[in-house]
Amino acid sequence: MSKQNDKELQDVEIEGMPQSISQEQLFAKMMDFWLEAAKLPTIGPLYAFSKDASSSTQELFNLGKTLLESKANADQYWVLINSAFAKAYKQTLENSPKKFSSKQDFETYRKVMIEAFEQTFTELFDSKEFAIVYGKLFSNQLDILKSLQGMAERSVKVLNLPTRSEVDEILRDIHDLKKSVRDLKGRLEEVNARNESTGQIAT
Amino acid sequence: MNPQGRLQPDQAQADKPQTGGEHVSGSPMLADGKASGLFAEYVESLLNIERVKSILHSAGSIEVGCTPSETLYETRAYRLLHYRQMVSKTAKTPILVIYALINKSYILDLQPDKSWIRSLLSQGFDVYLVDWKAPSSADKYVSFDDYVNCYIDDCVDIVRKKNKVDKVTLHGYCMGATMSVMYTTLHEEKVRNLATIAPVMDAEKDTTVIGNLARHMDVDKMLQSVGNLPSEQLYMCYSVLKPFKQGLNKYINLVQNCSNEQFVENFVRIEKWLYDTPPIAGETFRQWIRDIYQQNLLVKNEMKLGNETIDLTKITVPVLNIIAEEDHLVSPQCSAPLNDMVSSADKRLMRFHTGHVGLIASSYSQNNVLPKVGQWLKTRSQ
Repeated sequence: MSKQNDKELQDVEIEGMPQSISQEQLFAKMMDFWLEAAKLPTIGPLYAFSKDASSSTQELFNLGKTLLESKANADQYWVLINSAFAKAYKQTLENSPKKFSSKQDFETYRKVMIEAFEQTFTELFDSKEFAIVYGKLFSNQLDILKSLQGMAERSVKVLNLPTRSEVDEILRDIHDLKKSVRDLKGRLEEVNARNESTGQIAT
Repeated sequence: MNPQGRLQPDQAQADKPQTGGEHVSGSPMLADGKASGLFAEYVESLLNIERVKSILHSAGSIEVGCTPSETLYETRAYRLLHYRQMVSKTAKTPILVIYALINKSYILDLQPDKSWIRSLLSQGFDVYLVDWKAPSSADKYVSFDDYVNCYIDDCVDIVRKKNKVDKVTLHGYCMGATMSVMYTTLHEEKVRNLATIAPVMDAEKDTTVIGNLARHMDVDKMLQSVGNLPSEQLYMCYSVLKPFKQGLNKYINLVQNCSNEQFVENFVRIEKWLYDTPPIAGETFRQWIRDIYQQNLLVKNEMKLGNETIDLTKITVPVLNIIAEEDHLVSPQCSAPLNDMVSSADKRLMRFHTGHVGLIASSYSQNNVLPKVGQWLKTRSQ
């Protein structure tokens, strides 16, 4: 029954949308539509509310899109891991002892298994394909974190507390100031040393 | 149980289940009450696993970095250690060891018979070490410019002043070796010799898993959202390096050798170091990945520290480059090009058949690497 439902859902033709669209793309398109619909006028007495509300909505929809992207990348990641696992398992079965009647047989099995898994997974981690998928997944996680931070910052602003970005700006300023102080101290020491040596020569 | 939580062999024996006389229903016991060979092995393994759990539980308390030293200078970012002389000093030029920003520096002084520092001291060198502290979230914008032009430069000045010499020998390991190279290009007037161990130089030639993952990492985004590189991310990197031989097999070996005290102590020390991982300052990590691994700016002589460009051809001092043929963290092909890039007339590349950690903290390194390194340094430190 559910299979039939899925089939029916796939067959539904949405105007202006190609039929072969993936589930993730469909959700992304829906989100874009609602994001557009949620836009409020940016002039007049509601300007401040409209600005805040639209950026919050934007952030929420972006988070939704990132979560979808992340799911797609996580699926790819697990496909790679699972296929490597299946390959290694097959190699282990092919090369391991057929009968387990002594400790030596278990030892041989362990060595064969470790060797097969090590080789297969190292090949996987060494591949460009894995690095790209992992990089994308990592990037998605960072995007999710960034969205959550953005939402949290808005709440902190309501409490009239300094936000993370404001503290970050101060950290950068302090770092730059420390450097300037160090440079100035160095130059001052140079000047003092030069003055001292000139004084000695003069006397 | 001893202080490390290990069972003594006799105690372990006492904890074994008594098999004589009693018949256990459903277990593969023979009628005379003796366990069959495989069952006995199984019971032994279970007991060993219990012992290993207890060993690992108390592993953190094991002593490391025992060579006596004094803290010469300390800031929020580092401690400058000066090791106590063990024999009369025979080399005039002091050695300043620059450790990496990954894990802790006590790997260079892991235990008395596997200590890089101790070996240098016993060969008559005056040894100093820059021991980096963990950066806090306030250090997010600390960059290589700070590490090289401020912290290392300050340490070099302190050592020069203390020993009343104009120049020191810079001796870096891994990321510390790369920083030593950067320092030498900018402040060669203070460096007598440059000795590097497994430096990351030509990242394009790096064939390691770390190099592969680093090339596809969005580090700019990481700096914005996370700040410093968290320890957990580094654990993830370790987990993809020899995942089964080192990630799984080493624990099976530990179970099998848990009665061998020396094996257990060596294992626990390395394990303690392996997971003693401070975060890395965000901006430094960004430069490390983006400038070195992704854009390979170091060997192109285009990497910038502050307003200065790192030009490797400016290095003319004697250079010793020590690399490990089986290094799975920094591949030898990545480290070796240093010798081709510098302008030094006196340069030497030493290759050893060992791994990244084995190169500095093993019996192999004590017997094969350090005597040769000491000899090379001694002739250039008078």
